[in-house]
Amino acid sequence: MEFLSNGFVQAFHLLWSGNAETYSAIWATVMVSSYSICCSLIAGIPLGFCLGYFDFRGKKSVRTVVDTLMALPTVFIGLIVYAFLTRRGPLGDFSLLFTLPGIAIGQTILALPIVIGLSATAVESTDKKLRTAIISMGANRQQLFMSSLWEARHGLLAGAIAAYGRVMTEVGISMMVGGNIKWHTRTITTAIALETNKGQFGMGVALGLVLLTIAFCVNVSVSFLRRRY
Amino acid sequence: MGPPIFAIDALKHTYAGKTVLEIEHLEIQPASIVGLIGPNGSGKSTLLKMLGLIEKPTRGEIRFKGRRVAPFSDEARFRITLLPQEPFLMKRNVFRNVAYGLKLRGHGKQLAEDVHQALAMVGLPGEEIVRRPWYALSGGETQRVALAARLALKPNVLLLDEPTASVDAASAQLIKEAALKARQDSGTTLVIASHDWQWLFEICDEVLHLFKGNIFGTGRETIIFGPWQQLDEGGWGKILSDAQLLRVPPPPAPEAAALIDLLSVDTGSSTGSGEKVVLNGIVSRLSLEKKTGQVFATIIAGGHAFTMRLALDQQARQSIYPGESIAIHYRLDQVKWI
Repeated sequence: MEFLSNGFVQAFHLLWSGNAETYSAIWATVMVSSYSICCSLIAGIPLGFCLGYFDFRGKKSVRTVVDTLMALPTVFIGLIVYAFLTRRGPLGDFSLLFTLPGIAIGQTILALPIVIGLSATAVESTDKKLRTAIISMGANRQQLFMSSLWEARHGLLAGAIAAYGRVMTEVGISMMVGGNIKWHTRTITTAIALETNKGQFGMGVALGLVLLTIAFCVNVSVSFLRRRY
Repeated sequence: MGPPIFAIDALKHTYAGKTVLEIEHLEIQPASIVGLIGPNGSGKSTLLKMLGLIEKPTRGEIRFKGRRVAPFSDEARFRITLLPQEPFLMKRNVFRNVAYGLKLRGHGKQLAEDVHQALAMVGLPGEEIVRRPWYALSGGETQRVALAARLALKPNVLLLDEPTASVDAASAQLIKEAALKARQDSGTTLVIASHDWQWLFEICDEVLHLFKGNIFGTGRETIIFGPWQQLDEGGWGKILSDAQLLRVPPPPAPEAAALIDLLSVDTGSSTGSGEKVVLNGIVSRLSLEKKTGQVFATIIAGGHAFTMRLALDQQARQSIYPGESIAIHYRLDQVKWI
């Protein structure tokens, strides 16, 4: 187990000394996960609201599909996105393969069902009397939508955190769509996989610690927001 | 009498194919107090939801101040408000709950003053209460905060659905006083559904009795629910808990409800040709109807409540007081089925 403790020491050294390769992977991860989580929240929360709020024909079937997609394997998404973005694919002309936007597209596909499913659950779990209360105070349709979202805010936040955790820690999409190109598309998780294969535990542990730190910061921020609002 | 604040025509509402409310015509006058009484499932809450523009009726129209309105209508959404039966507050503190409707109306100025004033109306003054979160309130406080949130809006119409059903006596009294003060101060029209008949008959200009989604009377009628059974000696009826026989004409269905409209004290003289049925009971309550000045006696016989209209002098002359035993009668041909 000595290699592990050595890894921790090396990790602090790499982070403290501002190792460029380490910070490149951190930057790529933060960038690509931020893009993908923003896109999935913008599209997913309204869709999740509709799924949870309205009753319509086929709702149960849609819900089953969304719940199934929440468990999509990342390598499968990577494969499909790769097929679309490759030169021979329908989106080949956009030259998105082995780029950060390419990874972001794949991660958005990964996060979207999670955001939709957990948003729908959050909205469904709001009190049925909420609608009556909001309308009786004079709200219009838009205000009803916004107020209902606000009432479901804790559940929505939990959904966003779950989705963010999933995109931050996935390897399959980043590896297949990004290609793990040093200084370019190498993310924390692909770097950990590579460095561990190379026997460079220090780098791997350092990047793992960064992932933990980001997760910690996000959770502290969320706890603060929950207490504040 | 001026134009009505509400006019309902040919209204029908159904849930899953079952008609829960059907009103041919109804008018409610401005600044009046209208009471709704009836058993559970009679359509009181549904009618309030229709008037509160929470739901759209399946058929028919509702006009507010002469204009046809529907949920989210700009003509009415800031003027009508409903306090639902079960207290409900949004996940925010008391101040923000009470201020919510004011903010929707763009009230920036005097927001704090209006909120404090509304809370004082329901007996919740002070700085401490406004900072309390929604989960730190008792049931009675929650209902009073919910009412304060409506009173702060100074609505034209305040609809109250069982406002005192789930609160203690002290909170109930504060809620009643606050509702009446709103009418007194702002000319608010009140429509109140409640099982507190005595209170309703004391304060209301008009009381509507709903049963199976229809308005059929003023609430002073006696309704006896089935099931009815065919009697060994012939005819129909039911054995009451004190072994008295309540006889009725043949019902349209064993589960039908009997409407016994006019009851009078058995003075020995009677008119009409139908067979007379006599029941013995005990006077449980006397109440005065504000609108007509008449006294109504509630008589308990065999576990059922019978209501009887009395003139003031009749009540004194015949010594009809709570606790007194009394014989009441009705005629079989006066029983109607609903």
